[in-house]
Amino acid sequence: MNEAEILEKVKEVVSEVLGVDKDKIGLEDRFVEDLGAESVQSLELVAAFEEKFGIEMDEEKALEVKTVGKAVEFIKEYIAKK
Amino acid sequence: MKILIYEDEKWINFTPLSYIRPVFELRCGFNSILEKIISVLPEGEIILWVRDYLVKLCRKKYEYKINENDFWKDDILIINGRWLIDRNIDFSLKEEILYTKDGDVVYGLIKKEQVNKYWNGNLDEFIKNILINVKSEETDFIILNYPWNLIHYNSQIIKFEFEKNGENGILGKFSEKASVYGSERNVYVAPTAEIYPFVVLDSSEGPVYIDEGAKIFPFSVIIGPSYIGEKTQIMPGAKIREGNSLGPVCRVGGEVEESIFHSYSNKYHDGFIGHSYIGEFVNLGALTTNSDLKNDYSNVSVYLNGKPVDTGDLKVGSFIGDHTKTSIGTLFNTGTIVGLMCNITAENILPKYFPSFVWFVNGKFMKGYGIEYSLNTAKISMERRKRVLLPEEEEVIKKVYEMTEVERKTYIEKSRKKTK
Repeated sequence: MNEAEILEKVKEVVSEVLGVDKDKIGLEDRFVEDLGAESVQSLELVAAFEEKFGIEMDEEKALEVKTVGKAVEFIKEYIAKK
Repeated sequence: MKILIYEDEKWINFTPLSYIRPVFELRCGFNSILEKIISVLPEGEIILWVRDYLVKLCRKKYEYKINENDFWKDDILIINGRWLIDRNIDFSLKEEILYTKDGDVVYGLIKKEQVNKYWNGNLDEFIKNILINVKSEETDFIILNYPWNLIHYNSQIIKFEFEKNGENGILGKFSEKASVYGSERNVYVAPTAEIYPFVVLDSSEGPVYIDEGAKIFPFSVIIGPSYIGEKTQIMPGAKIREGNSLGPVCRVGGEVEESIFHSYSNKYHDGFIGHSYIGEFVNLGALTTNSDLKNDYSNVSVYLNGKPVDTGDLKVGSFIGDHTKTSIGTLFNTGTIVGLMCNITAENILPKYFPSFVWFVNGKFMKGYGIEYSLNTAKISMERRKRVLLPEEEEVIKKVYEMTEVERKTYIEKSRKKTK
């Protein structure tokens, strides 16, 4: 899976969990400040990413990821390790 | 003579409450099972025996010897740490004997010859051997097998301990606008306790004991038998029904019936908790409520150690592990077990079992922010109450995190499959 495909899926998840229009999600968007994620929604995002990509992420490291772009990089690393 | 107070393999039946403490630290009536045992012991050196991963923590917490072998050279008074003392005991044993209850040791005297013969370093095997080889006598003492037994006996134990203590009378601050309904002889208000105006202490059906530093705020009613622990606060308008042991250092509001709050826990707001045991540093959000009776009046079953257990009781509430937090409006089903350090958010019908350290959000089990985050939150809430999370406690919690990992992952995985 290439980076563009990962980004597309990340946007799908973010849109579904946070109720944000998929087309308005950018790489620089911050989950909390720009996309409005509440603390429990951060957990839902992690769970949804794991489900979507079939990976298991370190929860503490995952919750340090603040932007959509960083999430793509983070997930890419896990996919590469699969 | 040496005195051995032990917990056996049945500690697992008391999880999650027993995950980070020996079973004999659980509370009933005025204090813990261990405090009750120690209060009736004859002279002798006390040794506590606990599961391996609690040894370091117990050595830190107690002045007694913990899991030390040297006493096996002496006669021993052996005592089951699940024995709930409900009467005066005469320990003047001369001959070797084991008192039992339904096949479990209650207490007994074992001569050193037998000790040497059967001790091989494994306590559970030693118990099995002496049960076969030492003269025994069946009794009607109370041996606890499950956490709901603590709730079942709480009223009886409060009545017994009130009589045994022999304290009564109002020694603390008691507003002239507060009242006792029933006999004042059945009420004790400790010298530093404070009873605000328009409080009713109803001792007509059982004693009410308000311990040191407790505060009972206006418009609350406390129905006996009930024990309000040291520095516990009963919030304005609370309905503390019969059979409660609350505290020490808890803040309890709303309606509570036949329940035990271990210590340092908060149920500040309205909502009903009945026939439940609430661990330490638990926070129940406003309107958190549990069911303790099924609509068809059948026995409540509780999911324990991977399988349902028929409690044999019609009324059983929730058993909530230490440091767990619930959101506003959480509604627990009858006979629910909630693990250690969980975060539960309200949902229509909640599951009856929550593995330790899970977050339950939008109807799904999730793994939360990780163990370090949970420990950090625990440290913050403990510091607020001037308590420190000991390194040994932290080690024990991490161990439990490992022990419960497979179960937690299974629930998270199942929960994901369900929503696909």
